[in-house]
Amino acid sequence: MFKGSRGYIIYGLGFFVVLEIMLVAAIYWWPTFEQNIPSIKAIAAPIAMLSDLVDQVDQFGVSGYIVGQHFFKGCSALGTAAAVLFAANAVAGEAHRGTMEIWLARPVSRLRLMSERWFGGLLVVIGPVFATSVTVPALLGMFDKTMDMSDLMRCSVHMSAFLAAIYAVSFLWSCHSSEPMRISFVMLFISVMIFALYLVEGVTHYSLYRLVEIKVFMRIITKDAMNWTLLAPMLACTAAAYGLSVRAFLKRVP
Amino acid sequence: MSAVAPNQAASPPSEAAGGVHVRGLEHRFGANQALHPTTLQIPPGGVVGLLGPNGSGKSTLMRLLTGLVPLQRGEITVDGVRLTGDGLSIRRRTTYAPGELHLYGEMRGEEHLRFLLRGRSGADLERARSVAGELELPLKRRIREYSHGMKRQLLFAAAIAPTVRVRILDEISEGLDPAKRSQVLDLIDADAARGTTILLSSHHLGEVDRSCQRLVFLNAGRVVADESSEEVRRRAGRLVRLRFAPGALTHSSAAALEGPGVESVEEAADRVNIMLSSDDPREFLGRLAAASDLPAPVSVEHGRISLGELYRTLYGVEGT
Repeated sequence: MFKGSRGYIIYGLGFFVVLEIMLVAAIYWWPTFEQNIPSIKAIAAPIAMLSDLVDQVDQFGVSGYIVGQHFFKGCSALGTAAAVLFAANAVAGEAHRGTMEIWLARPVSRLRLMSERWFGGLLVVIGPVFATSVTVPALLGMFDKTMDMSDLMRCSVHMSAFLAAIYAVSFLWSCHSSEPMRISFVMLFISVMIFALYLVEGVTHYSLYRLVEIKVFMRIITKDAMNWTLLAPMLACTAAAYGLSVRAFLKRVP
Repeated sequence: MSAVAPNQAASPPSEAAGGVHVRGLEHRFGANQALHPTTLQIPPGGVVGLLGPNGSGKSTLMRLLTGLVPLQRGEITVDGVRLTGDGLSIRRRTTYAPGELHLYGEMRGEEHLRFLLRGRSGADLERARSVAGELELPLKRRIREYSHGMKRQLLFAAAIAPTVRVRILDEISEGLDPAKRSQVLDLIDADAARGTTILLSSHHLGEVDRSCQRLVFLNAGRVVADESSEEVRRRAGRLVRLRFAPGALTHSSAAALEGPGVESVEEAADRVNIMLSSDDPREFLGRLAAASDLPAPVSVEHGRISLGELYRTLYGVEGT
């Protein structure tokens, strides 16, 4: 494990590289995908939700494809894992390793120690979302396509707010626990289950991943504005979880 | 004439800079009362030993003093500053070396020193490097390659280097070989000689004898004794220990040892510990020789009982 700012840079860079590889692969595959949309629609037809996703890509073209591949698939799936793993380890990991005492014993306030870790970890999770989004126009340029940078940034803000909420809730649990593995397993299991719900007709509306589906991003792009109805609750959840984390951390016994 | 800050002027002299003062301090972990109401007044300067068996509340007290464990009830003043909030103001004025030895294995020694000394000055870090050099610690090696004793010395280097008036050292020499232990104690003694107050918890009674001017004994979360090491040594000179053949001793025969010049009689298996009221045992030995209903002792010890044995006898403190 790497500690301090060096750790944040290394892990953030790692997450960026993985996301970028997925993005490059997706964009490289776009011409083939575009050509085969009718066949893919036929294959997806028996699964209503999958069929709906392909229809949306067909309707919105390359923008729909990019937000589907990059935000809905790449960032939300990998980002959730990164958010959970970082947050779970942040405080509970110190307690589990027994290093919490030397971490807290220094002449630095607890609020500062926790906030540094909270924001550092969050930056590792959301930084690569923005950084990879910035590369989209250049990558699309290979196929004479483009996307507006401001649209991509707005979508990145929305995606980041979703990941921040997951991160903040996991961090809150970490502040109360000494078992990072348990937090990771439970949170990832719940995330996978909620993601799976998305694909089940009838219960799809119970899936939190509806907050970051293609339609949501395309609404942000077509209206040239953030979707505050969805964004505000996610930010409120993050802020509340941060506040509760501070409270728990100030009372934490090594 | 020098100006005196109003808050300092208002403080009683016993709470002056450099001291440690605890009033009505108690702590619970759930249903477990880790520390019963405790009051301690430690004036500035010198080494105070904190002794007690495992689970007696030593580490809890030390963590409370540095704000690592949130204060539930009572008052703590360290180096003239009252503990409030998360104890930051006290951690700035003290150093603390924890008894639990868990470090970041992936860090190198140098990096770990910097980690431990975050919030301290560059000069403090330089001094820590110098102490680590004196202790021959390989600062370029990763902590995972360090032995138990080396890790302990790294914590010690980080705790002894900063310029503060109070140091709280929990089991600081645990796991050290005799030569390193002696080196560490020399540094502690030199630091105390400069006027630093050092609160030292240890299971190594030899080092307590050597360095501590005052001893506080804890058992089951209570202070059971608080006396100077001189007084403890004097008590060692007043202790007589009789050993009998197995099964020879009865309760009534031990009771016969009580009488003038005897402060207390304590039976333990085939031994009887007698605390005399003076260090002259002749009167007691005369009575012992005349006690015909008492079985003949196998051995009689007086004046050569080690402090370690005394601590065990008096307070149940275990150590090496």
